[in-house]
Amino acid sequence: MSATAEPPTTATVVAGARRERGLRAGPLLLTAPAALALLLFLIAPLATFAVYSFLTGSLYEVSGPLTLENYREIAESDLNRTLARNSVVVGVLAAVTSVLFALPIAYWLRYTASRWKTLVLFLMVASFLASYLVRIYAWRTILGTEGVINSGLGALGVIDEPLTFLVFNRFAVTIALVHIYLPYVVLVLYAGLAPLKPTYLEAAQDLGAGRVQRWRRVVLPLVAAPAASALLFVFVLSAADYVTPQFLGGRTGVLLGVQVQVAFSTGDYAAGAAISFALLAGFLLCYGLVALALRVARVDRLRFVS
Amino acid sequence: MSGGRLSPIAGLVTLAGVLFLWLPLLVVVLFSLHETASLSFPFEGLSLRWYERVYESPEVRAAVQNSLIVATTTALVTLVLATLAAYGMSRARSRWRAPLSLLFFLPITLPGLFIGVALVIAFTRTETSLSLVTVTIAHLVYVFPFFFVLARAALERLDPALEEAAADLGANGATVFRRVTLPQVWPVLVGAACLAFALSFDEFVITFFVVGPDPTLPLFIWSSLRKTIDPSINAISTLLLAFTVLLFVVTFGLASWSERRRRGAVDPLALAGAEAPR
Repeated sequence: MSATAEPPTTATVVAGARRERGLRAGPLLLTAPAALALLLFLIAPLATFAVYSFLTGSLYEVSGPLTLENYREIAESDLNRTLARNSVVVGVLAAVTSVLFALPIAYWLRYTASRWKTLVLFLMVASFLASYLVRIYAWRTILGTEGVINSGLGALGVIDEPLTFLVFNRFAVTIALVHIYLPYVVLVLYAGLAPLKPTYLEAAQDLGAGRVQRWRRVVLPLVAAPAASALLFVFVLSAADYVTPQFLGGRTGVLLGVQVQVAFSTGDYAAGAAISFALLAGFLLCYGLVALALRVARVDRLRFVS
Repeated sequence: MSGGRLSPIAGLVTLAGVLFLWLPLLVVVLFSLHETASLSFPFEGLSLRWYERVYESPEVRAAVQNSLIVATTTALVTLVLATLAAYGMSRARSRWRAPLSLLFFLPITLPGLFIGVALVIAFTRTETSLSLVTVTIAHLVYVFPFFFVLARAALERLDPALEEAAADLGANGATVFRRVTLPQVWPVLVGAACLAFALSFDEFVITFFVVGPDPTLPLFIWSSLRKTIDPSINAISTLLLAFTVLLFVVTFGLASWSERRRRGAVDPLALAGAEAPR
């Protein structure tokens, strides 16, 4: 770029653009303030956080030298291993359930001629924006021992004792997570189906493809990449969730993220950093594996934002 | 496709999905109007007393005020930073585009837990005391990609011929942006700023780590959830839901209005009108 490569704050870039120089110096210069902000407030903190996981921690302090001790402790802790297993189970359940639930909905949204289509689409997106805490609270009041289901069934005389299997376990955590991420998955799959014009399906049918074959040879190859990215997205966010398990998980539904929160609220930054970094490394591995699988299957590349 | 070909199963699952998403939220709304402090059936009559209690609570007021400050600042700063970034990316041809794209999308792909943990470590390291400023910084990082995606999509849909024509007629970069680009995309930008506001107003996962002595509204709800549960939480939740849905209606409305307007602008007569001297 030109000689205007002084530290570009928002003000200087805007002023630069006003002085009709910014755009000629290359439109990319306009991305500088945002890029600097993200480097400073995201990349640098992530790097610090990675280094912390290799240090020895005491209360709110860390000290060198670099060591793998934190990771060894995580690997040897029975509690962490149980929580990691819970995270994988809940993450996979939430991800698979969301995608299987969302597929027919996205399909309906894409091909329906119904006048309800816009309303359904609106309700999907609006519910995605509905507060995360409010949803968790909603499931707590519905599934609780004195919750809506138990008190309702009790009032109707269907049950005498409250059903205790509804809450404080993995099932309750999974159902709340599906509730939180379903709208997102629907929108991703809906966008994935966009290039598939109804006429293609008609053409496939005219060429003699049955319902199963149309799904297998036309629909699925197109939604494979968005479905895989949605699966990953829900898996990662569910497995790293630390709020839902606190309110709905009881003893069997605690996830690894809760350990991170506990470590940070008790001031053990090094241990917390190590657990979360291990989790992040696990996610990156999953991402790599799915991307590889998609490449082998020769479908469109993985995209998070459609 | 003719309506008859679509399997009724897809329609039924869609109906089930809508009910699954909205019934739990409606239950929250229903019990916010409950006359007694109980959150279970039988339902014993309607009352607005929980709303009165929320309205009179100084803690709720302080939390709402904090959230408004953070969300407004986040939305305004994001509007400037992300619009510039989206405009730059949509008009640039450079090998830096791919790494910058990755950087700009990164916060959406990272669970909030990691952003929160990384930021609290960085703030501790630099001895920055936690306050609404640190919360705002965290929200800027979190909200950025959502705004950026919408703004960039809107900017890339524009007809480049309009900007080229203005530049050929002697307008400089800033004038082209202000007089040609901005009039076409401002509704999307305002809508995206509303979305940024809503996302910030409602953020909990990251905020939990970087919040100081002044709680935001989600932090207040969280701490109430850990104490006794009564319908005043339902009342706050209902108001929060109504507010978010309202902001979304504004976003949705502005975006679709802009789209209709833009399609109209492809009409050559409208083009001639747009280029009329002022």
